[in-house]
Amino acid sequence: MTEATPRSGPSRRRFLGVALGAAGVAAAGGAGFGVARATEPSATEPTAPAPSDQVPFYGEHQAGIATPAQDRLAFAAFDITTTDVHAVQTVLGSWAAAAARMTAGEAIGPTETAPQAPPADTGEAFGLGPAQLTITVGFGPSFFDDRLGLARKRPAALADLPTFPGDALDPDRSHGDLCVQACANDPQVAFHVIRNFARIGRGTVAMRWSQLGFGRTSSTSTSQETPRNLMGFKDGTNNLKAEDTAELNQFVWVGNETDQPWMKGGSYLVARRVRMLIESWDADHLADQETIFGRRKDTGAPLTGRSEFDVVDLSAQAPDGSLVIETDAHIRLAAPSSHGGQRILRRGYSYTDGTDPQTGQLDAGLFFIAFQKDPRAQFVPIQRMLGQHDLLNEYIKHVGSALFAVPPGLSEAGDWFGKSLFG
Amino acid sequence: MSLRRSRLMSTLSLGAAAAVLAGCSSGASTSDERPTSSPAGDPHTATVTITSNKCVADRASYEAGGITFKVSNKDATGITEFELLDGERILGEKENLPPGFAGSFSLNLNPGRYEMYCPGATTPRVPFTVTGTATSVPVTDTKALLNQGTASYGAYIEAQIWFLVTNVQPLVAAVKSGDLAAAKAAYAKARPYYERIEPVAESFQDLDPAIDARADDGLAPTKLTGFHRIEYGLWSVGSGAGLAPVADKLASDVGKLQKLATGLHYQPAELANGAVGLLDEVSKSKVTGEEERYSHIDLLDFQANVEGSEQAFANLEPGLAKIDSTLTDTISTRFAALDSLLDKYRDKTQPSGFVLYTALSRADVTALARSVQAVAEPLSRVASKVVNV
Repeated sequence: MTEATPRSGPSRRRFLGVALGAAGVAAAGGAGFGVARATEPSATEPTAPAPSDQVPFYGEHQAGIATPAQDRLAFAAFDITTTDVHAVQTVLGSWAAAAARMTAGEAIGPTETAPQAPPADTGEAFGLGPAQLTITVGFGPSFFDDRLGLARKRPAALADLPTFPGDALDPDRSHGDLCVQACANDPQVAFHVIRNFARIGRGTVAMRWSQLGFGRTSSTSTSQETPRNLMGFKDGTNNLKAEDTAELNQFVWVGNETDQPWMKGGSYLVARRVRMLIESWDADHLADQETIFGRRKDTGAPLTGRSEFDVVDLSAQAPDGSLVIETDAHIRLAAPSSHGGQRILRRGYSYTDGTDPQTGQLDAGLFFIAFQKDPRAQFVPIQRMLGQHDLLNEYIKHVGSALFAVPPGLSEAGDWFGKSLFG
Repeated sequence: MSLRRSRLMSTLSLGAAAAVLAGCSSGASTSDERPTSSPAGDPHTATVTITSNKCVADRASYEAGGITFKVSNKDATGITEFELLDGERILGEKENLPPGFAGSFSLNLNPGRYEMYCPGATTPRVPFTVTGTATSVPVTDTKALLNQGTASYGAYIEAQIWFLVTNVQPLVAAVKSGDLAAAKAAYAKARPYYERIEPVAESFQDLDPAIDARADDGLAPTKLTGFHRIEYGLWSVGSGAGLAPVADKLASDVGKLQKLATGLHYQPAELANGAVGLLDEVSKSKVTGEEERYSHIDLLDFQANVEGSEQAFANLEPGLAKIDSTLTDTISTRFAALDSLLDKYRDKTQPSGFVLYTALSRADVTALARSVQAVAEPLSRVASKVVNV
């Protein structure tokens, strides 16, 4: 794509005296800076197969849940600042349109605009490609208060999270009416989403808090290795995987059991900002670190096995009759067998936000994200037990918390986030 | 003006004039193309569908008079806007139309050839033909309305500068008399007149720094000239010592400004850009408490910037409303919300009429900043709408 077709009629920009060459250089994927739109294939025309770094945006479920976890995260919670339902709908519709473009590696609007108008797209992702970007949008419990008159649309499963033992929540890093999770293999591609969504929403929604995650801590596909968290451990080896369709249906996707048909095919997102007390952890001796997790630090193997994926034998005893994996070890308390077989899909990211201005200690940890069918039966009992007993609690602090109902995927252009919720 | 279509007009013959296929992909339309399908639908209602390829109207031509555009976006993710153009002039438009959304607007149109413009489409411009006889309803003269607005804005600027010059005099006198309280009161009284017209002053390169430079512009406070040198002396040093020559220079500088700004003519886009510039000023230095760092009367400047911005917009509004009444409504509503938020901080016991910046909580500042951004975003789109009128 090098030459723009001759423009029909007088060009708006030529009229305005701005010289913009008819030729543009396109990057692979057609998202090049300054490419004349006239030469690009339309979004509705059949196009070449999606490049391998593109995750389909439309589908039964929103992408970014069962999608193999990308390397980077940009997450934001927004509050509604209006009581005008139509304005909120328009933002959700504009977000959907922009999301379809960005996940395809395209600018959100025309790159050819009048010189007197601010550009439609902020531009920092031009030429970076889709980078496996996924954009996942959800609705918080407060979205269903009396401001928009949607109380009767609130799912029972979207019950406010209880206070858990050890919670030290900062309201400025918690809750929100809406959430946007942008995951990509390029941090600037992920950031671009949050920035443009905030811009699109200005005057209707305002960002309440946001979080960047610099490295994935979960594997959500059998093709991915389990990454290490900032404590240096492989945690989440037995996570649900995208390939386990039956288990996803059982534990992640909302089915016919929901009291709100608009949520069918959706999921519930729990986000927790878990600060790690890094300096204390780094001073703990290896044997204690391994006892706390119940895994070997080097191989990631359970203390009852030799390699990472060996079955965790929670009843194994040492020669002296004590349990090899301690009663309150993280691996035991987080195991499905400790929760009646319940499981969650973990999709968290490591974060750092510099240093704590008071103590000079690192402000770093895990931005925990989990998806599930019903938090009341899954995250809540699991966290209640962990918060009470987990040996890890000495080295972590839950400082942020949020819950969102993530509606099902968008069917096609013209559908938008939560459309059936307003219907 | 009524935009209701006339029944009489709709009975006029359609075939009388040449029609251009709405689906024709070439902007260089020829006059003798004939529609391939018989015209259907109301000749005074243009039902327009936005697709990724182009905007498609439901008829080949429409009848002169009131025409309502009902625009819906089917599936074009990269297009959120529809405009009707006469040459490069935007006659009417609808924004915020992502896929799955629809909107409408009405125009009075004379017979002629126009264009539907969907920025971002493969074929962004598609001919739009109006036939019949010239409408008896006067066609909207947006240009005249905007010209009235720019003239009235010029008068506003001159009036504000006159007040500025007039209110700097008592400040000079108070500084020279050594009456600190009187000088502080006079300072607060003079400030808003400058803050309302700042974008105009900024067009004269050396004058704005001479009148309004701050310590963060790279100068030690004692090296400053203008308002903030006086502010530093009165509030931070607590003395008028050495301020007399500064005050005299300020009086002379605002006098220069008055000469330069008298009789100026402004373009509609300049008003729009100036209005945005004033809100940028608020976001950059008022909402952060940097502008009046010694006196903390930032909210007074804040309100004056907003008022200046609102005045510029108000002068564009009658003309702009003919082009996009949804946009003007959005901006007006958000300005009103910002004004009432600011009103919450009025305090008659303060010389500035507002609580001091230091009394604001973090939540107050966040709410004010958000409210400013809520206006600035739609306002930033105005210049492009009025630049070619």
